[in-house]
Amino acid sequence: MNRKPLLTTSLLVIVGFLTVCPVVMLAIGSFSSGFGRFDRFTWIKYVEAYSDPEFLAVLWNTLVFTCGSAIVTTVLALFLAYMNTRTNIPFKFLFGVVTILPMMIPHVLFTASWAMLLNPNNGMLNRLLMEIFGLKSSPFNIYTIPGMILVESLLDLPIAYLVIVPAMSAFDVSLEESSRVCGASTMGTLFRITLPVLRPAILSSVILVMVRALASFAVPSVIGMPGRIYVYASHIYRIIATGFAPDYGKAAAVGMSAMAASMLLIYVYRYLTAESERFVTVSGRGFKPTLIDLKGWRYPAFAVVGFLSFILIVLPVLVLFYNSMLPYIMAPSTKALSMMSWKNWTTVLHDPISLLSLKNSLFLGFVGASLGVVLSVLVAYVIVKVRTKAAGVLESLSFLSFSFPGIVIGVGFMWFFVRTPLYATLSALLIGYIATYLPYGVRPLSSAFVQIHSHLEESSRVCGASPFYTLRRIVLPLLIPGIVSGWILMATMFVRELTLSVVLARPGTEVLAVQILRFAEDGLWGRLSALGIVMIFISSTLVVIASLVGRKLNQMHAV
Amino acid sequence: MDLRIRGLTRDYESDGKRIRALDHVDLTIAANEIFTLLGPSGCGKTTLLRCIVGLETPDAGEISIGEDIVFSSEKGISLPPEKRGLGMVFQSYAIWPHMNVFENVAYPLRARNVPRNDIQSRVERALRFVQLEGFESRPATRLSGGQQQRVALARALVAEPRVILFDEPLSNLDAKLREETRKQLHRFLTELEITAVYVTHDRVEALALSDRIAVMKQGRIVEVGDPKKIYFDTDDPFVADFIGRANLIPATVRHSAQPHAMVDTAIGPIQVRNSHHIPVGGQAMLCARPEFIRVGPPTSDNRPNVFRGNVIHRIFVGEAYEADIRIGETLLTTTIDPEVAIVAGDDVTIAFDADHCFLIPT
Repeated sequence: MNRKPLLTTSLLVIVGFLTVCPVVMLAIGSFSSGFGRFDRFTWIKYVEAYSDPEFLAVLWNTLVFTCGSAIVTTVLALFLAYMNTRTNIPFKFLFGVVTILPMMIPHVLFTASWAMLLNPNNGMLNRLLMEIFGLKSSPFNIYTIPGMILVESLLDLPIAYLVIVPAMSAFDVSLEESSRVCGASTMGTLFRITLPVLRPAILSSVILVMVRALASFAVPSVIGMPGRIYVYASHIYRIIATGFAPDYGKAAAVGMSAMAASMLLIYVYRYLTAESERFVTVSGRGFKPTLIDLKGWRYPAFAVVGFLSFILIVLPVLVLFYNSMLPYIMAPSTKALSMMSWKNWTTVLHDPISLLSLKNSLFLGFVGASLGVVLSVLVAYVIVKVRTKAAGVLESLSFLSFSFPGIVIGVGFMWFFVRTPLYATLSALLIGYIATYLPYGVRPLSSAFVQIHSHLEESSRVCGASPFYTLRRIVLPLLIPGIVSGWILMATMFVRELTLSVVLARPGTEVLAVQILRFAEDGLWGRLSALGIVMIFISSTLVVIASLVGRKLNQMHAV
Repeated sequence: MDLRIRGLTRDYESDGKRIRALDHVDLTIAANEIFTLLGPSGCGKTTLLRCIVGLETPDAGEISIGEDIVFSSEKGISLPPEKRGLGMVFQSYAIWPHMNVFENVAYPLRARNVPRNDIQSRVERALRFVQLEGFESRPATRLSGGQQQRVALARALVAEPRVILFDEPLSNLDAKLREETRKQLHRFLTELEITAVYVTHDRVEALALSDRIAVMKQGRIVEVGDPKKIYFDTDDPFVADFIGRANLIPATVRHSAQPHAMVDTAIGPIQVRNSHHIPVGGQAMLCARPEFIRVGPPTSDNRPNVFRGNVIHRIFVGEAYEADIRIGETLLTTTIDPEVAIVAGDDVTIAFDADHCFLIPT
């Protein structure tokens, strides 16, 4: 077994720098008095951050927002998973669509489309209802905590669903059947047997959504801030981006507790997923669970699922497209139809900052994903094939950034970059992106390496091939599908990146999602929609290619 | 080509403990010999094979193939696997999933820059030999286990290696296919006239395929010999037990003559072969294989080697019954022909075949 100490060490240094550096800089920053000055140790930023009269409200909002989103998302995901795996609901292909398609719509756009529908001033749906029922005021206000929870829950629904479905489909039906034989009713069985057995999966979903809601920036900024509802992420943003004196020390001090909370949640999540593997009730018996006949409820249940897929996928794209043609938000009417034009499109496509952000995002997507994949290939190789103690450390390091809220890590990087010539360059964004999204590249490549059994390489060597020839003819061809899907996954992430960019982007290094956020802040919904459609087009193209490549990969390794 | 191994030693580090996988192994394998390394899992047989082929580096010792030293710790020689000119069939076959059958088999030739025209004809010849003509353009992953195994064999043979190595090539096949493939492999190997080193933990495979067998245990070679010697006349109680079912009974030599000696055992005096010439008064282990113990209805026969016992337990295994029979305090494993009407609890007469019971020095 080749231990490759040089490769392992250099990767440990690079990945260690990428993931540990922002955390260390954040910690140092939180104890420093001025931005970029580390000369004097001080507690003052902590005192300022946590004695701030607003902080208590922020803490409370965050708690309600994260827990609320986690519960709503998990309940919806449980419903969808149960319908798909355990009932004879028609048109089951929709479940695949609900879980994959929303990933093509960047969060900031999804959130903006809900703001256009339900904002209290001129939300399309509000206006429509007022006209129909002759109401004096808007029936809905999205700029509230329930509004934030609604949108965040819809955003996190696919991931919660993907966590719950495997547990649900591995469920041993005989547990329920014996409960029925023992005399319990259907509902009694559901609450006393089914849900308790699924508890680890349900808790994992709750915690995963909490982590994502804590890190979420799109919803707190586009929906929360207009309603003056601040959570952790938007509170940090307020400290560094609004007012005339951004206070990066105070932001770091606030960020430290967000980071600690997030890491703790991820730790619990890992513990629970290990636990749920223990809880799996079914071995490879190859049984098919009996499907529950919904009878008269088949189509009503389907209507609920259909409605969910409509508001998750069709509605946001429709709203964006419709508004991209209008000068301001208005409910559909003959007047609106008569005012439709391509003006927003021409404005956006001639707006130098929008064009610059498009160029920057494409550059970051292509170059960032390419560099990220090269690093991921090497890291995955060491994790899967070298398997020394140091490789184990590398694995933990490379997955550490899963638990970092983007905006906090952005503040940490800010503390680092301000002392380097990288400050306010695209390279700063590039480094930040790769550090934060490394797990998205390492994961597909690790599974690609797992599929290359060591015998395949050894056999080539015995056949008379040199190590280089083996790499060229055996390892690389088998790795290419993994490389392609890792590249596309990272590229889509980079093209839509918001939370990190909002801290690191400076004039000249604007990116698409930040530009969208600016349009939302200025209420330029038409231009936002036009640029948003361009963004959705780019990321859907990448996702479609990714799924095609994934299918190819599965075909090759089938049998 | 012949293969010589001197003082080969290999240590592993596992959980901070040093484990000796190979312990000063000496071995000479003659040219065109089919040689098997046999032993329980963890005995070091696969490590030895991987050291020969160059996938693992021994800590000490020397390996030479024909005239060439391929590894020597003293002389600081360690050729990489691609320079050793060997062929190998892996346990998992290691068929490359992204290549078709032709490309898989042509690979060793391409890696060695063989001219294009030659490749075509040599691959065809190799595939014809393993009876896979017409499979050239099939994706290799779409073949059955037995066919994949033959592709692996063709690939190992196509470059005309100096030695071909097999790492448990039949262990991934189901029982019926394994028997067929074993026969096929026997035919291939006897036709080929090539030096072959075969690793297995299956004693039937070893007996059926080999010219000679080396039985290994804990990183050492316990005994080397041809299959009949290993089965009928081993020097070692471990080998006797590992190579087939055996009743091992402690014995003391009372009287030694040719061809048979008389030994005292717990069940009484028995006449056995004494090919190791253990002297009178010497301690030894008597080895009696179940198929050489005859079981019949009780008689009052007083000939030598005939005893009376009681059937403790009997099970039907298809071609025969297996029965545990007790004589005094000693328990013997025997096989009984299906037509013999004996059930558990019966008293029986058992007779040891003096020509096939032998003494092992202890």
